[in-house]
Parts: sequence; structure tokens; C-alpha cells
Amino acid sequence: MSRLVKEFVKGLWDELPPFRVLLGLCPVLAVTSSAENGLGMGMAVIFVLTMSNLIISSIRKVIPAKVRIACFIVITASLVVTVELLMQAYAYPLYQKLGIFVPLIVVNCLILGRAEAFASKNGVVLSIADALGMGIGFAASLTFLGAVREVLGAGTVFGVPVMWESFKPAEFMIMAPGAFVGLGVILAGMNAFNRYQSRKKGEEVPDVMNGGCAHCGACGGIQDLKDK
Amino acid sequence: MREILHMLVVLSIICATSGAVLVNLKQATKSQIEQQVLTYVQGPALLTVLDNRDNDPIKERVKIDGVTVFPAMKDGKLVGVALEAFAPGYSGDIGVMVGFDVENDELLGIGITTQTETPGLGDKVMKPSFTDKFKGHNLDSMQVSKKGGDIDSIAGATYSSVGTVDAVRKAIEVYQSIRPEISNIWKNS
Repeated sequence: MSRLVKEFVKGLWDELPPFRVLLGLCPVLAVTSSAENGLGMGMAVIFVLTMSNLIISSIRKVIPAKVRIACFIVITASLVVTVELLMQAYAYPLYQKLGIFVPLIVVNCLILGRAEAFASKNGVVLSIADALGMGIGFAASLTFLGAVREVLGAGTVFGVPVMWESFKPAEFMIMAPGAFVGLGVILAGMNAFNRYQSRKKGEEVPDVMNGGCAHCGACGGIQDLKDK
Repeated sequence: MREILHMLVVLSIICATSGAVLVNLKQATKSQIEQQVLTYVQGPALLTVLDNRDNDPIKERVKIDGVTVFPAMKDGKLVGVALEAFAPGYSGDIGVMVGFDVENDELLGIGITTQTETPGLGDKVMKPSFTDKFKGHNLDSMQVSKKGGDIDSIAGATYSSVGTVDAVRKAIEVYQSIRPEISNIWKNS
């Protein structure tokens, strides 16, 4: 039972897809111009992820290892088309807004990543817990980033005005560059928060969060040359 | 050999099952999707070009020679019809809903249904300042002014303007070819 809870919860913070493991960034950047769009995309991903984990984990023993990726893709693609058709039939305005990004869920690394890393190695129940956790984490992240951008860029959340009257919206935030800025600030904030928490607990702070560039090997070669 | 066979069989079964499920789903959602497209894509444009009416053009639509025709009725009499046509703009097809006055054989107006023109430049063809130029226009000489017509193209958006005018001209051709059938269908009204 505790394993089940653990697999569910890890997607909500420790392995939060877009902000901690940086998976599935294309929709994160592209559709979060408003909280509503983010939530809609998140719901579609929850559905596809849960169904794909369910199906893949239940037939994982018959899938030959050599063609497993092809099988995963076929299953994911079918589910995405299902979502696309259902969205067209019952939520057309949302479909108009999300546009090309609905079919692009197929190539969202999050879904293939969970299929490969989790569903193909674990049972049905655990896989569903994993998918729900990851999916909800993903949807919540998208909605959060969407809300932040919408507040700053349009002064509304879910279409409801929340800012004071003389507030001048920075339209830049709902354009493409706003997505990068928003994502970057959130990532920086999360790193700062984690560092603060580690310090408070007296744990050693991982190099990655220390702000310096020591952990990055990119310029190591140059340093070596200089030393010589 | 057995391994290859195993792979082939499993992959084929998965693909076949997916295909079968999707075909059925597509069939099941077809009419619902058509309804949604009519409401959200063609609906808004349709209602602006056929404003003088007291019926529901979407509900009473008729297919003539493969073209969907939306009738506008007033006091039980046919006053106008609208149909959609497409022509290539700067990037992709521009869809235009064109309304016709059946009594005077002139344009009631046009509305853009779908376009992927450059935001802020080509998409100005959607603005009333451009679409209003077609109101009450006759059915001949539908052309931009550069090519001898009387529709001024939008500065900096020549391709988009020409595309829109081309689509309107196509709609006029279709309208003229199905004109007898239109009067035939709504003969009593």
C-alpha cells in the first residue's frame, strides 16, 4: 500500500514532470498562455498517460522487447487521436485553442518516458498510480504557469479579472517569450526553495543548486588547458 | 525466426486493434463533430452575413451538388443564401462564407471562417473594414483593384486580400451554377 502512495506522490513534487525532471516542455511552453488552456492540455495528458500506462502495463508481458517502442507509440498515438476526436466532438472551443498541440501529445516525452521507465516494468495498479500522480503534477504545473502568465499578461485568471483597475497587462507574458521567462523564474524559485530546505535540515546542498558553475563540465577542458 | 514471427504478430495485432477502435470512434463522433464545426467555425461568420432573417440557417442547411447551402428565410420567404469557398492566401487556404441576396443577385456580405495568415498583417482580412467592402457588391468583376476590379487590397497584405477575393469569386461561380436549383428548392417560399 505504501508503495502505491509513494508512486502516486512522487509525480506531485519530487519528480514533478515539467519543473523537476523537465519532461514534456513543448506543451508547457506553448499552450500555457492562459490557465484554462493549461488545464485543458493537462486533462488531455492525464487521460492519455493513464490509459497508456494501463494498457501497456497490462500487455507488457506479450510485447517483444525489440519492438516495444513501436508498440508504445502505436498505443499512445491511438489514444491521442481518441482524445482529439472527443475534444472536437464535445469541447470544440478548447480544441480550437490547443490546435496542433493536441496531436503533438504523441511525441510528449513524458508519456513515452513513463511507458518505458515504469509501465513496462510494473503492474497495472502501480502504473495507474504512477500515471495519475505524474499526470496531475503535469496538469497542475501547466495550470500554475498558465495562471501566472495570464495574471501578468491579461490581468485575469480563468477569464475572471483579478488585478486592480489601473493595472496595465504586460502582453509580453502571454506571448512566446513570456513562457520562457515564466518557466525560468519558476525553476529558479524551486531551486532556491529546495536549497533553503536542504540547508535548514542541515543536509549537504547538491552542487546543482548552488548557483555556481562547478557542476557543469562544459568549460572544464579550457581550465585544464590553462593550468598547463 | 520464431522471435521475428512473434514480433510481427504482436505488432500487427496491436495496430489492427488500434485501427479498428479508431475507425469506430471516428464514425461515432462524425455527426457531432460536424455539428460543432458548423457552430464554432462557420456559425459566427454565417450569422453576420445572413443577419436579416428569422430562421436557423444551420438547421435548415441543404446540400446541392456537394455544396452546403445555408438559407436565410424571412416571413417564410427565401431572402438569401450563404455558402463557403476556399482559396489559397499567403499561408494556407482562406475560408470565406459568402452571403447572396437572391432577389437582387448581389452580395449580402462575407465573413472569414478559417485562415492562417500572418497575425497583425494578413489576418486584417477578417476585419469589418475589409469585409464591409463586399456588402452589396454585384456578382460581376470580383477582383482586386490592381487587377482591374474595385476591391482595394490591404496595404502589406496583398496575397491575403487576393486570396479572399479569389474565394469570393469561387463562391459566386458556385452560386451562379446552382442558382436554378436554389429557386427550385425554395420555389414555394
